[in-house]
Amino acid sequence: MVDISSPAGKSTRKPLVLQYPSVALFLIILSLFTAIITLLGEGFGIGLISTSFVKTLGKTLCLCLAALAMDLVWGYTGILSLGHMAFFGIGGYAIGMWLMYARTEIIVRDSLSASALPPTAQEISDGIATQIFGVVGASEFPPIWALAHSLPLQLAAVVLVPGLLALVFGWLAFRSRVTGVYLSILTQAMTLALSLYLFQNDSGLRGNNGLSGLQNLPGLDTVPQSTISILFFWASALALGLGYLLCAWMVSGKFGSVMRAIRDDENRVRFLGYSVEAYKLFVFTFTAVICGIAGALYYPQAGIINPAEMAPIASIYLAVWVAIGGRGRLYGAVIGAAFVSLLSTWFTGGQAPDVSLGFYTIQWVDWWTILLGFSFVAVTLFAPRGIGGLVDRFTERRAPVRHGADLGPDSGSLREKEAEE
Amino acid sequence: MSTLLEVSGVSVTFDGFRAINNLTFQIGPAEMRAVIGPNGAGKTTFMDIITGKTRPDSGRVLWGEKSTSLLSLSESQIARAGVGRKFQRPTVFEDQSVRENLMLAVENKRGPLSVLRFRAAGKDHEKVAALAQEIGLAGALERKAGELSHGQKQWLEIGMLLAQNPRLLLVDEPAAGMTPAEREHTTDILVEAARTRAVVVVEHDMEFVRRLNCKVTVLHEGAVLAEGSLDHVTQNEKVIEVYLGR
Repeated sequence: MVDISSPAGKSTRKPLVLQYPSVALFLIILSLFTAIITLLGEGFGIGLISTSFVKTLGKTLCLCLAALAMDLVWGYTGILSLGHMAFFGIGGYAIGMWLMYARTEIIVRDSLSASALPPTAQEISDGIATQIFGVVGASEFPPIWALAHSLPLQLAAVVLVPGLLALVFGWLAFRSRVTGVYLSILTQAMTLALSLYLFQNDSGLRGNNGLSGLQNLPGLDTVPQSTISILFFWASALALGLGYLLCAWMVSGKFGSVMRAIRDDENRVRFLGYSVEAYKLFVFTFTAVICGIAGALYYPQAGIINPAEMAPIASIYLAVWVAIGGRGRLYGAVIGAAFVSLLSTWFTGGQAPDVSLGFYTIQWVDWWTILLGFSFVAVTLFAPRGIGGLVDRFTERRAPVRHGADLGPDSGSLREKEAEE
Repeated sequence: MSTLLEVSGVSVTFDGFRAINNLTFQIGPAEMRAVIGPNGAGKTTFMDIITGKTRPDSGRVLWGEKSTSLLSLSESQIARAGVGRKFQRPTVFEDQSVRENLMLAVENKRGPLSVLRFRAAGKDHEKVAALAQEIGLAGALERKAGELSHGQKQWLEIGMLLAQNPRLLLVDEPAAGMTPAEREHTTDILVEAARTRAVVVVEHDMEFVRRLNCKVTVLHEGAVLAEGSLDHVTQNEKVIEVYLGR
């Protein structure tokens, strides 16, 4: 594999896939993985792996997509955002509102069709509102649900709401030159504020109950979940593949060069005439949109979303995945997110065997977080390049480009040209 | 003679310390100027003010034919207006290749969307190749800048400065850490550049300043102490007292 940061081609840019074998390799592995899961799944295959595991894998692909976004904003541009899962959650809420509305509408219409008079639009609307908001003691639609009846509009919200929030937040933060740990704290505050707000019953999004039943697609009641899970798996794999290509294209050219330059010395970039703030805002907003899309694919597979999903810890996990996988390389982010989140599922799912020490029994459900914390510290201290650093061990065995370097200690010694003759 | 940059009555105070005190300075569109002065004379602050890094408390900084004020522009806008700066410590992007460093600096559109769509055209590659030739790094284009020697990094930064095609070059101690042969080459490049644009060199090394053979401005305690040819200022009694005073 070739590091994505290698220089751009000579005179013409070759197709991205040829220029960076890692992109091609990633897409091949992703396709193979998708094909294998499809064959083994219950929906279209032999049923060797359960539907719930297919969903777990599909969700993991969405998390990988979010990690890609995190790698762009942190690994490449050096903005340690600890709030990107807020955008992920907003994407989930946006699609969840339509899913809940449309499904409840079908149920309400069915139940009202039994009555003698055909129901009025108002009756149907009231029925849906009572069904959805009864749990928080309300029976009217809050203004925020005005567009929930329309799939295209809610899909637009998946992209636009995270994008606009990131644009406004980023504009305020970057314009004031907030950087480093202060920016991280600000982004934490953003996601915490959002989560606390949504916890309130009168926020209009069902408070701590969140939105549920999202796995049931409206009008597809007859289609079994085993099939739906595979369809979502495909959609997630497609989104990850396209996202990877798009990110690779972004970081490979001059734009990527500017991003890494900002990460390493943003003042110097300013004196070259680049508006650092505009670039940061662009990357921050772009990655927020990616996270929104990832969230919109994740929550229908999870089935439920509530404000706890936007707690600051979620975004910190995102940073931990990218750090463990290896910052500043796209495949590192994907590997980190997949590896750590699947491991986390295994440990917290009760499948990991308890370790009995005689006087104390280590139960992984409780101890996993501590193990993860130690791994994070260990990676930061001893392997800053993360799991992706293992790849370097292979590539660095090939001689690096050293043309133009002095062969000897002074200018009188053998030059490269002479040495070749 | 028309002026490219006019700094007048500029003062700046850091925590009560007057770094620049009613400074006045001007330079024409194709002129070489050396700025000398003891440590703490305000040489670096002077450059910071022109490039927008530091905002003065009072005074004016006017630029170009239209006399636009640089004080209301951001650093990147000032750079795009045509002010290039080379720092004392070589600052190149160590993680990127020499080619990428030069390509970043080559004069092109700087907006995010233009850069996203950017594909290096033939003329960009020619420019990079020509610059690399001039700064002696033609064979090292694919090497990471971080692997270069100190002197080579200085060269690379000078190359990046020229690639920006600025109308005014601010150069802070260009010859630091260079061998005599390299110094000579640096002098040639700067003198050549000053034929078509304004060049301000901040330097400690009197020999180097002498070779530049240009008008000299002596700064002391944030103000201009003397101005004129090197021989003229070195005979000035006040200059001898504060700077050369032995």
